[in-house]
Amino acid sequence: MLLEMKSISKSYGTVIANDNVNFDLKKGEVHALIGENGAGKTTLMRILYGMESPTSGEILINGKPVVFQNPTDAIANKIGMVHQHFMLFSSFSIAENIVIGREPKKGVTFNRKQAIEATKALSEKYSMPVDPTKKISECSLGVQQRVEILKVLFQGAEVIILDEPTGVLTPLEVKELLTAIKHLTAQGKSFIIISHKLSEIMEVSDRITVLRDGKITGTVNASETNEEELSKMMVGRELVKLERPEITPGQAIIELNNINLKGNKTKPLLKNINLNVRAGEIVGIAGISGNGQSELLQVISGLVKPDSGELKLQNTNVTGASVKQIRANGLAHIPEDRYLWGVSKDATVADNGIMCHLDSVSSKGVLQQSKIRELVSGWVKHFQIKTGSLQTKAQFLSGGNLQKLIVARELAHGTPFIIAAEPTRGVDVGAMEIIHTELLKRRAENGAVLLVSSELTEIMKLSDRIVVMYEGEIVGELDAKTATEEEISLLMAGGKAGATR
Amino acid sequence: MQHVKDSLKSLIQPLLAILVGLIVGAIAILIVGGNVFETYGALWKGAFGSFYFTMNTFARATPIIIVALGVALAFRAGFFNMGSEGQMVLGALAAALTGLYMPGPGIVKMIAAIIAAIVVGGLWSALAGWLDKRFGMNLLIVTLLLNYIATLFAGYMVAYPFKDRTGSSALSQSVMLDSSVWFPKLFKGMTLHIGFIIAIVATIVLYLFIQHTKKGYEIRMLGGNPFFASYGGVNRGRLMVISMFASGALAGFAGASEVLGSSYRFLDGSLTSANYAWTAIMATLLANSHPIGSAIASILLAALQTGAMGMERNTDIPMEISSIIQAVLILFISAKITIKFIKRKKAGAKDGSNI
Repeated sequence: MLLEMKSISKSYGTVIANDNVNFDLKKGEVHALIGENGAGKTTLMRILYGMESPTSGEILINGKPVVFQNPTDAIANKIGMVHQHFMLFSSFSIAENIVIGREPKKGVTFNRKQAIEATKALSEKYSMPVDPTKKISECSLGVQQRVEILKVLFQGAEVIILDEPTGVLTPLEVKELLTAIKHLTAQGKSFIIISHKLSEIMEVSDRITVLRDGKITGTVNASETNEEELSKMMVGRELVKLERPEITPGQAIIELNNINLKGNKTKPLLKNINLNVRAGEIVGIAGISGNGQSELLQVISGLVKPDSGELKLQNTNVTGASVKQIRANGLAHIPEDRYLWGVSKDATVADNGIMCHLDSVSSKGVLQQSKIRELVSGWVKHFQIKTGSLQTKAQFLSGGNLQKLIVARELAHGTPFIIAAEPTRGVDVGAMEIIHTELLKRRAENGAVLLVSSELTEIMKLSDRIVVMYEGEIVGELDAKTATEEEISLLMAGGKAGATR
Repeated sequence: MQHVKDSLKSLIQPLLAILVGLIVGAIAILIVGGNVFETYGALWKGAFGSFYFTMNTFARATPIIIVALGVALAFRAGFFNMGSEGQMVLGALAAALTGLYMPGPGIVKMIAAIIAAIVVGGLWSALAGWLDKRFGMNLLIVTLLLNYIATLFAGYMVAYPFKDRTGSSALSQSVMLDSSVWFPKLFKGMTLHIGFIIAIVATIVLYLFIQHTKKGYEIRMLGGNPFFASYGGVNRGRLMVISMFASGALAGFAGASEVLGSSYRFLDGSLTSANYAWTAIMATLLANSHPIGSAIASILLAALQTGAMGMERNTDIPMEISSIIQAVLILFISAKITIKFIKRKKAGAKDGSNI
């Protein structure tokens, strides 16, 4: 066995993050570690990478016990980790980022030429093409991740830990990553992958270990299991089947007519957008991120004023109206980037919860603590949000729990129209189930939902109609019942609409 | 419970800064050949050694607290108002002139003087907010530069049109106010006046306002994450002008409180050389813009200054030791701001006015 973690336990005060966990890894193997948010996956890997020390238990490498005080010890033992949020210097070149910490030197100065050579050699050896002189800030997220992996390989890693590697990637980049992983394992490298995404895990791993509440619920061979079984192991119960009754959509709740937005680039950000969402309908917007979806949502929610065109919400013209007015007219908005738009990290759960609910929790301009408590703790219970208390700062909640708080806050408005942008990004299976159920419930209550997601499966699962955006334009509209993944992918990549209509 | 815990936690950093400041001060004392304990003893006695000294410290703290509250309010909304000095000076000038030339009984003059100071200080500050909102001029720089215009203009006013020509003094100052306009003293024979009580009440009111009202909530959210605030429909521009007005109004009131409570006239340079506004900004930063914390920090910094005078009287150590301690505090604060600033930049905030 290349690597063994034996009876690892880790507790923070009274909270037990890992309880008697056993984990091992063979040479040339991909071993996936899955579980819901807060199940203890990341803690376990932080222990392996020397960022935390276990309360009890031991780590063996090739049968010999080792103790890691810090990541440097782990790296010296050929263990490397690629974090969920990339740790690269964006103003430096790829080569400089890869050799950092072990730069080739010429006398006392940095030997850039040799660094570039080394990077080239490395990228060829592992067939992961990169341009060594390109700046990180000019690279796509997929390339940045490749750089992270090359950096780890340059440090001599035999075991590579990937924390949520596909979270930020486009479908094509995901495919490339999975191919790269297969290549590397063929050359004798071993991987530990932390993920929520069962389909990707099933495709690439040899073995899968499931954690729940800090304990191992089982280790299975990927060839002998399926996604349903894995979700059951993760959540600890059968998942509820989503109910999607047939509904005849009513009248249009939101209408966009010929919306244009120039922006300061040469290409327009939005071009002639015509779109409506009717009562009792979920319209999904598919597209590779950066093709105008964010701008479209900002226009609809009033954060950006369009240059021309008309925006109607519930038959009222709200073009150019303020965020407050549009919200008052019946909009709720689950934002795409929860940390940027959705919360204030230094504020408490309660404070984050009452945004736009001020009128119902205050009287004569004074906030009523009892009303705030009643409102927010209701959501915490219904959505099973894991938080210390309502006074806990938002930054201490896991991503999934924070997302549940935002979804709860926005759904609580009970508005006829709701924007759900990336509603389940980085969220675990259980939370995803709750959020999807709630969105479908809103549909059943005759609400209009505009769904934007980079997950094609999510779009296909929830939508009644699918609209595809490419370079700021709507390039196709499909009926969700008959649309195929291939059709949508083609449109997303800029294929002509005429071919599929 | 969580509230108490959080408040205690936020105390650790400023206390650490003060402790390191005292240690560095101790080293300086040793270098000039003094006795550390004796010197710090004298410093303490100078600030809080007797009822008289304590009241004296509170009197010095009064304008600092009021300015600090204004600064804290702006900071909480995410606006770096560095213009307190100018706002305070204009407020003081407005109070002095209104008190001198307004007809009517003393109490009316006094209230009119206070209102004038609040309006003038507030408008001067709101001007900077408006320039930022309307033309995108960087708030931090505008407020900083407006200080020069304000202090030089006020200096001109009392050097020429409103100069006191009654006495033989060559100072640039206005005529002395009639004693009916003066703030009443709290204790006979001491400098402390009702301005201090107003400052304490204002501290509590501001705390309750920020923590427990709708507007206060919007201000906190705007300061915490401007993107989140705009997503939630908070009107940044309007709130910016409002909070800058309130911030300047408090600074203006602090100026009025000095004129009506202790100097009884506007004397050019008296507010700037005492460094009230900058001490207040330091206190606010030290206390992370918490109103009650800012008031406590204001008193501590005032004590450092009054204590230093006492120390110089009773030992061979020069009062510059207190400047050294303050300098260490500034170092701590600027390190903290720099880190915050970098974090904000990283988070994609394009706005230099946000801290």
